[in-house]
Amino acid sequence: MDAQMISQVLEATGETLVMVFFSTLFSLVLGLPIGVLLHITGREQDGGIIPQPVFNSVLSRIVNVLRSFPFIILLIVLIPLSRLIVGTSIGTKAAIVPLSIAAAPFVARIIESALKEVDPGVIQAAKSMGSTNWQLVYKVLIPEAMPALMSGLTLTIINLIGYSAMAGTIGGGGLGDLAIRYGYQRFRPSYLVAAVIVILVMVEIIQVVGDRIVKKMMARR
Amino acid sequence: MHIRLSNLKRDYGSLHAVQDVSLDIPSNTIYGIIGRSGAGKSTLVRLVSMLERPDAGQVYFDDERVDNLEGRALIEKRRRIGMIFQNFNLFSSRDAAGNIAYPMEICGMDKAYIRKRVDELLALVGLEGRGNAPISTLSGGQKQRVAIARALACQPDILFCDEATSALDPQTTRSILALIKELQAKMNLTVVMITHQMEVVRDACERVAVLDGGRIVEEGLVSDIFANPHSEVTKDFLSHLTNVRDSIVRWSQEDGRFTLRFRGDTTDEPIISNVSNETGAVFNIRAAGVQHVGDEEMGVMVLDIGPDERHVREAVEMLKKYGVLVEGDV
Repeated sequence: MDAQMISQVLEATGETLVMVFFSTLFSLVLGLPIGVLLHITGREQDGGIIPQPVFNSVLSRIVNVLRSFPFIILLIVLIPLSRLIVGTSIGTKAAIVPLSIAAAPFVARIIESALKEVDPGVIQAAKSMGSTNWQLVYKVLIPEAMPALMSGLTLTIINLIGYSAMAGTIGGGGLGDLAIRYGYQRFRPSYLVAAVIVILVMVEIIQVVGDRIVKKMMARR
Repeated sequence: MHIRLSNLKRDYGSLHAVQDVSLDIPSNTIYGIIGRSGAGKSTLVRLVSMLERPDAGQVYFDDERVDNLEGRALIEKRRRIGMIFQNFNLFSSRDAAGNIAYPMEICGMDKAYIRKRVDELLALVGLEGRGNAPISTLSGGQKQRVAIARALACQPDILFCDEATSALDPQTTRSILALIKELQAKMNLTVVMITHQMEVVRDACERVAVLDGGRIVEEGLVSDIFANPHSEVTKDFLSHLTNVRDSIVRWSQEDGRFTLRFRGDTTDEPIISNVSNETGAVFNIRAAGVQHVGDEEMGVMVLDIGPDERHVREAVEMLKKYGVLVEGDV
């Protein structure tokens, strides 16, 4: 291990963090409204507050199709979109686009299932008091589902760390890219090992912090 | 606020949950609706509280039709009613004070006012200083108190209680009923209590409607219905009550064949002795005591009559002549 390698690993770690942070943020921005819509337009017995069967099944199909799209293919398919949004199709910034879009349907499903866990009696009570649909969503559903949403967020971040390693394919940088270019293609296994260790540590930290936040939330209930 | 239900109907597929229910619920009373599970109570309360629409019929609050309200008008009207539930249905994401504040928040009330009002309400239900308590740290009775405070936060005209005491032990049930009675008088509320417990009707309600198979089978003053039940369902509810009642002293393991009820003017005479002397029938008393029904006291006696069927018939006839209400097969 030399100084050059350390600085390269550090740089790649920074790139991974940037990719994961922004793609988590954007996938939430995209996935949250979709997840909420999926839930509230669902069947009444599943806790839907404004059942819209047709809309719901169309949205559900779209989400399923996007979720079953292999990420490596999505990366390539979305190159024109990345170019349109960020102005380039290579680099860390460009990788954020397909990462966010790949994670959004996943986030939507996680949010949907978290909201489904909310006690329907509580929703009925809030409704009987004269809550508007909007109030039901942001003052009752989301706060009540917060611990489940938080562990969903943890899961999303960890998944995105894994996905971001593939972003190297479009020159996205990050730890996965480093491991492949140096560790595999240039036969320097120490790079591979270093990248894997950093990723493991990252995942572990996210998991521990996420669990702790959920625990704290539950303790206050 | 006076509530009037007119020919309400609600089906779920082939299940006729509520069929042709008409009721007048007078203003400023505690009105009980009792029925077994599956009798249509929950559906009825959902119709009256505007959570669901009837397939046919109308609901009026003080002559204003409310079952067909939509959008903003529906939401505004719901804000004028309070509701409490068997499972309390409190927000676990909010502490006690936050729960009570919720209905005021959604009406867009001023924050300082809400804070003041929450303290008042906590005191009103006997939970002073417990505002910061997370919901999971409260007992069942305390949870229902928070729910009551939340339901009354916006000073509603009507309070619906949907099996509000069914998850509570007998002692807590009594304290919650006492609280509801106290608040009803204080706030001029119309309280509608849905329940399957006759104790609740006896201890809290002025009038009662008995629901069975989605229909009202009996309706009237609680004291009248206790004294003189007509339908089988009502009798069944009452017999269950006699057996579990702790104010009745039971000195025999055997269940008596007859239940006698003595009202007001009949309670001063030595009726049993008279009947025994005149007919020669013998009485074996299994349990007896006094029940408080609304404001009325009612003597209850569970007994067997002997020695043979002829004496039984004669004794029952004479008891009825004295104004005693006799339940049981002759």
